Amino acid sequence: MSSPVVTLEQPRVSLCGGSALLLEAEGPLALPTQMGIWNLTDEIRAWPGVLDLQPGMNNLLVVLDPLEGDAEAISARILARWAEIPRERALGRLIEVGVVYGGEGGMDLMELCEKVNLSPTEVVALHSAPEYVIFAPGVSPGFGYLFGLDQRLFCPRRKEPVLRPAGGTVMIGGAQCNLGAPRRPGGPVANPTGWYVIGRAQDVPVPFDLAMDPPNRVSLGDRIRFRVERIEA
Amino acid sequence: MIEVIESAPLNAVQDLGRLGFRCFGIGRSGAMDRLALAAANALLGNAPDAAGIEAQLFPLVLRFTTDTLVAVTGADCGARLDGRLLPPFWAMPAKAGQELELSPPTDGLRGYVAVAGGIDVPVVLGSRSSALRDGFGGFQGRMLQSGDLLPIGPAPARTTRDAAGFGAASPWQALSRPACGDAEPGDITLRVVPAGEYEQFDEPSRAALWAQPWVVTTQSNRQGYRLQGDHALLRVRPLEMRSHGIVPGVVQVPPSGQPIIQLSDGNSAGGYPKIGVVIDADLWRVGQAAPGRRLRFVPCTPALAREAERELAGYLGTLRRQAGYLRRAAA
Repeated sequence: MSSPVVTLEQPRVSLCGGSALLLEAEGPLALPTQMGIWNLTDEIRAWPGVLDLQPGMNNLLVVLDPLEGDAEAISARILARWAEIPRERALGRLIEVGVVYGGEGGMDLMELCEKVNLSPTEVVALHSAPEYVIFAPGVSPGFGYLFGLDQRLFCPRRKEPVLRPAGGTVMIGGAQCNLGAPRRPGGPVANPTGWYVIGRAQDVPVPFDLAMDPPNRVSLGDRIRFRVERIEA
Repeated sequence: MIEVIESAPLNAVQDLGRLGFRCFGIGRSGAMDRLALAAANALLGNAPDAAGIEAQLFPLVLRFTTDTLVAVTGADCGARLDGRLLPPFWAMPAKAGQELELSPPTDGLRGYVAVAGGIDVPVVLGSRSSALRDGFGGFQGRMLQSGDLLPIGPAPARTTRDAAGFGAASPWQALSRPACGDAEPGDITLRVVPAGEYEQFDEPSRAALWAQPWVVTTQSNRQGYRLQGDHALLRVRPLEMRSHGIVPGVVQVPPSGQPIIQLSDGNSAGGYPKIGVVIDADLWRVGQAAPGRRLRFVPCTPALAREAERELAGYLGTLRRQAGYLRRAAA
């Protein structure tokens, strides 16, 4: 059966510019694969010619020095290490957040229900059942991309981004879901997104604080569980 | 200090950008025309990572509270120091009390102002760049406004041998223009490396990527440029992608088929298919492309990208060396 999501049979490294590479892992989105990605990230950090690294969803962006980084040689080295890197690692702490699904804070719940052909009660039950794992950093410092979404809730991103209020948003996009950080004082009131906002979390912990060293207060591998506060029409 | 007398919105302190914090979801930020800022620092003998001011809306009026050396680079913003017109890519002494005014450029988009010693705002996560969306870095994590007092870093007291200052060839003059067969003189040509999903696009789309002009739309800013072309870029079989890290220069293609070039303040991650990536060495050209300008894409490889990077480094090295002869210790 064909999947709506890209699945590779073999891992591959592709160019992400003249001086950046993207390793994409083989197989369906999986936790052991991601543990390998995290382990490889730690290892590659020390390689010469590598400036920065960013794990994605079963993939890894490797930013090279534009003058010194040899894309061809480093590609080969990444693939060789990927074949051997251990795919196990301890997970982090559990964070539990209460969510009000639907209503004003989850304005896209009904639209998502239509897309996936389920009732609001069913969507909320499926969404709040698993323990999600913070897989990869998101577009801004926060809780990142979460793994564990029930595939019955997979829903392609919108064709055109829409503006959605910032702060504690619980969203679904493609085969992924996430949790928005609390709105930063003075920060944007709304953000453009192609994802569906199905709820709003109450009392979200601050995930990133520059007054702390290191500033991240959640880490890749930490777990998140959504507790249903209520469902609003 | 530099006092901001007047600043249109969107002007901010930038350096070459932030590296090493992608694991937190923090992208590069930094100057849109990094070459212009690097050139300003080279003219002044500053460290390459010194911060300057990026001006993208005008006017920008600054007053120096101390004697310093100032450089203006990037788009020719008709900079005037106490009314006296400075040529583009120019460095000269500024006296305490003098005012520098930048006006809208007739060609290009962004002007840069640097001073000897650099703008000495705190380094946050390895950089002085403004991360405006996340509200940190630069001057108090925000755009400049009138009344701001920007500290200047320590620098040896220097002036120029010629009181009128000295200039440099702009990179448009000094660097070779990427060759593109039927490009018109006003087109900006950019070298692009085919990216991960290039092969997923149908043959007419792949041909159109290289063959047709792409117009910069008004929906273009520091986050990214939305382009418009006659032939939309379509994939043979659209698949939902997994989110992955994104660097400035990535050319994403949303379902509309009209591409977006992700830039300095772009999302650090995303999931639209990427057909190609503008090489780092050509991103400064994008930073100076105003809405309405036509872009042309030219195929490139990592080896050619490194060669282009070496050409940039050569230009900056020459600038730095020559400028060293044109400055002298202040009396």
